[in-house]
Amino acid sequence: MTYTPLPPVPEEFKILSMMHNIGAISIDRSLTPEELSMWTGIEANAVRDSLQRLEELGYVEHTTINGLGKFHVTKIGIMKVLTLYS
Amino acid sequence: MKIAMISWEYPPRIVGGIARHCEGLARALVKQGCEVHIFTLDFPGAPEYEETDGIRIYRTRSEVGHPNFLSWVLLFNHFIEKRLAAVSKKVNFDVLHVHDWLTAPCSIGTKFFLGKPLVFTAHSTENGRSGLHIPDSFTIDGLEWWSTFEASKIIVTSNSMKHEVSGHFNVPWEKVEIVPNAIDPSKYQVDVDRWAVRGRYGIQPHEKLVLCVGRLVPQKGIEYLLHAVPILARRRPEAKFIIVGDGWYRDHLEWVANTTGERWRINFTGFVSDNDLVALTKSADVVVVPSIYEPFGIVALEGMAGGVPVVASQIGGLTEFIEHDRTGVLVYPRNPESIAWGIEYVLSNPDHARWLIQNALETVKKSYSWEAIAKKTFRIYEEVAGVQQVKKQ
Repeated sequence: MTYTPLPPVPEEFKILSMMHNIGAISIDRSLTPEELSMWTGIEANAVRDSLQRLEELGYVEHTTINGLGKFHVTKIGIMKVLTLYS
Repeated sequence: MKIAMISWEYPPRIVGGIARHCEGLARALVKQGCEVHIFTLDFPGAPEYEETDGIRIYRTRSEVGHPNFLSWVLLFNHFIEKRLAAVSKKVNFDVLHVHDWLTAPCSIGTKFFLGKPLVFTAHSTENGRSGLHIPDSFTIDGLEWWSTFEASKIIVTSNSMKHEVSGHFNVPWEKVEIVPNAIDPSKYQVDVDRWAVRGRYGIQPHEKLVLCVGRLVPQKGIEYLLHAVPILARRRPEAKFIIVGDGWYRDHLEWVANTTGERWRINFTGFVSDNDLVALTKSADVVVVPSIYEPFGIVALEGMAGGVPVVASQIGGLTEFIEHDRTGVLVYPRNPESIAWGIEYVLSNPDHARWLIQNALETVKKSYSWEAIAKKTFRIYEEVAGVQQVKKQ
């Protein structure tokens, strides 16, 4: 197949994908933006911006645990991520 | 016969066609008297172990993750292998059957640990999916080669895939067996209120519904369908387009849709439920499969089973079950003009379209039942279990 350059994977999608690969796919494994920043090496404010957009799209959800906002990938978020690898 | 089937996806964890394939095959094998154990990954809400329709399903949680995809894959393989080892103390498996490269490392390890033959189904290749142009792709390509090397038999779903696998990995021709995909036609034998379904998606009675279903990834060729929209709209102003599915390429596809000048005709639904998908399929006037890489193309088979004329790219496995102008219409891949022609041809000739549908339904019924596919697969299991003993290491 002829190779044609593809558009880059959107930035928030990279964060969604990393959240999935880390294992943040349920409330009990959800993470704060600061924890996600440490895991991914992406600056915390950029993580927060991406999380906001991902939440609007329904790919992540957040829960408040002990006063902390923690995020995890939703079921449709998981299915979205997996399209990158199949 | 006791079979350990290993796959990274199994319902409700559905990515592409592999989950459906494993489920359909497992059900049919159980009906034929096999004991089938599925080893797969966890999914929110799904139990760690369950027995459904006689299939034993073990879902494994990867206790350690990593942001890098390949590192994560290798980590979850360790956890699946641990589960395989535990279950194999109680179950004496005859054959291990792995689907695609993602669970190959644990399957190959188990093959040597248990001394049992391994069957590998190559549903697609990295080279075909995205070409080899980034480091991860070379690693995946290497894992695919390793899987073909270690397997006693390789199953592919089409003749085009047999050529691809045999040629790309230098695999002996006779080591590769073709077992096509299948569907359950009974899924489509349900009453659907066609007009109500169309109404829910904003399709008026006089309009024509063009349906496209698939992961929103480059190899599905959806951007070529989008470029066909303005061409078709000039000839058939009543055409509306529904694109079902989601994927990392969606933003780009929506951008392409915005450039057509016909954005109002195009509806991206995202993922829909199984029931909604059947209802939409049965309510469509034509199903389009504009893929640029397609080892099999099960969505085309689903359209055929749903009683809808199918317009598909003349590529890969699609050409093996769609006979042009007899069971569907084949068009040139990457060619919006040709795609528009195919859709218009079907919409403009309703009597001929009904004849295509009739022929397609007969083809699906005759050659693509799970029962037939399970029989073929079982013969491969018998062959590898009977003739090959892997040396324990």
